[in-house]
Amino acid sequence: MNIIVCYKFVPDPEDIIAKPDGSISFEQAEWVISEYDLMAIETAVQLVEAHGGKVMALSVGGSQLSNSKGKKDVLSRGPDELYLVIDDALSESDTHLTAQTLAAAIRKMGEFDLVICGEGSADLYFQQVGLQLGELLGLPTINAVSKVEVADGKLIVDRSLEDEVEVLETVLPAVISVTTDINQPRLPTMKEILKAGKKPITEWKLSDLELAGKAEKRIEVLNVRSPKQVDRKRIKITAKPDEAVQTLIGYLSKEGVL
Amino acid sequence: MDFKFTEEQELLIQSLTDLLEREAPESLIAELDEKHEFPWKPWKALADNGFLGLGISEKYGGTPADVLTQCLVAEVLGKYAFPLGVIYGLGVITIRDIEQFGSEEQKSTVLGGICRGDPPVALGISEPQAGSDAAGLKTRAVLEGDEEWVINGQKIYCTISNVAKYILLMTRDPQIENPYKGMSMFLLPTNTPGVRINPLPKVGWWSVPTCEVFLDDVRLPKNALVGQLNNGWMQLMANFEIERIVLSASCIGAAEAAFEDAATYANQRVQFGQPIGNFQMIQKMITDMAIKIENMKNYCYKVAWMMDNGMPVRHEHAMAKLYITQASFEVIDDAMQIMGGLGYMMAHRIQRLWRDVRVMRIGGGTDQIMYNIAGPQLLKKFKK
Repeated sequence: MNIIVCYKFVPDPEDIIAKPDGSISFEQAEWVISEYDLMAIETAVQLVEAHGGKVMALSVGGSQLSNSKGKKDVLSRGPDELYLVIDDALSESDTHLTAQTLAAAIRKMGEFDLVICGEGSADLYFQQVGLQLGELLGLPTINAVSKVEVADGKLIVDRSLEDEVEVLETVLPAVISVTTDINQPRLPTMKEILKAGKKPITEWKLSDLELAGKAEKRIEVLNVRSPKQVDRKRIKITAKPDEAVQTLIGYLSKEGVL
Repeated sequence: MDFKFTEEQELLIQSLTDLLEREAPESLIAELDEKHEFPWKPWKALADNGFLGLGISEKYGGTPADVLTQCLVAEVLGKYAFPLGVIYGLGVITIRDIEQFGSEEQKSTVLGGICRGDPPVALGISEPQAGSDAAGLKTRAVLEGDEEWVINGQKIYCTISNVAKYILLMTRDPQIENPYKGMSMFLLPTNTPGVRINPLPKVGWWSVPTCEVFLDDVRLPKNALVGQLNNGWMQLMANFEIERIVLSASCIGAAEAAFEDAATYANQRVQFGQPIGNFQMIQKMITDMAIKIENMKNYCYKVAWMMDNGMPVRHEHAMAKLYITQASFEVIDDAMQIMGGLGYMMAHRIQRLWRDVRVMRIGGGTDQIMYNIAGPQLLKKFKK
């Protein structure tokens, strides 16, 4: 079973700084694998461990993807091969351009049985790429997958909805997006980290691919602003419990949070 | 001069940090400490993720690693779960001794077990009358009928011996006048008849038991000898330097944890209408603590790098051990001072770090022994 697992390289959310003017700075941020995609990688590795085959990791983006440590990081988590599409035009890609590029790369990679994505990205979390990718590849596409099994050449998945779980069966190849509760990703061992540097990596530019449409974004980001930071009020309420609650409600109403 | 770690080391540190946050949260470490329990579950998690095999040959299930990488692992363990750092550091010397001097059977049995999650092999040197002066060893091994060793004696401060499967036991032949040429090393299964082990109550290291061991007519097969007869002292000394530097690295982690607690607290604790971090006395303490942590790291990494490059570290390792174990305790003590009453409460980890790190100035060679090693070596350079 050959599985392609897509992942996004994002600024570490813990390193993102909201400046006093509300602008967001990524300058200090280390780039890491989007945490939601770690479950996608683990799902792919578990399926291949159970059914044989190989896992091919795939990512598209800007020059950050060239980071050698980032490549070893993803390969140390179990994939056998890594494919990257690195192009400045992809550095602030929207979901449409990302899905277009992934689809073109997947067509170029050759035969596969399953494509797995995370449920969303840690930076934008649009939850769109997996669905658009499935549509572009013309394959059965299921999102919100919280359990996955392969039997008789078919894929059986649990799809977690708000109040119920759908059990769906589909033919392969297919595209799925997995939720964060599907598994707990393993952590790379020293052995896997050392092996990672020896695994094959293929790098393409956008011009190496045949996209189905124009390589253009459909969303223009005009501005990104963080909510205004407010200093602690440091208000102390000294009263009997009932009165204190009323006073607290008064303060909260005044601030417009109730 | 390149201070950068390799990408593999950075990934390893990240992986270990994630593992400890998952498997050894502060609440668990505090609970195990309070109950005086060995950290079996997080120890097994370290094994399952390949950390216990670091420094052991692939042949026995491990992954070769240099001293610097082992120091980085000990430092991270020391920061998030100090008892794990101690246990890991204690294992370094016995693992290396067995790998270097043990028979093939001893290596595959012991090292394979450690990779799978066995506790390290305990080191049995100190006796009631023999600590830093190993010449005072009285434990004897007598070969009976050319087939069996019979061992009698007593060991003390034999850490983790009540949970370990084996003790790497030092004995002495009193017939040989020079004590350093009359010591031998044995691999003693702790479940051998005649072995009695009692844990000793102590100030810190509540999750890492330290014991007295009584050996009454303990019979071991001839092949229990590790390395050569009467060459035990040389074998022991071969890896003592590495153990000292790796154990020191765990102290750096503990100091980092205490520093972070104190700095966070200084920003939050309001007195006289402002955070105490605004006061210059506190800022001086915080700055001095940060300088010590930086110095400790630089010293530790440099000595580890020297070891990895085959350079002698006879006095350097002793000076580093001396400085790091003292400075880490000073940082933790200052952290307790900044945190005031809260730092002294059992509910906060600072008191545990304070209790746990104090003994590092004693174990593995006291401060005074480190001066004793370094001083003559330093003077020797300038003798004409």
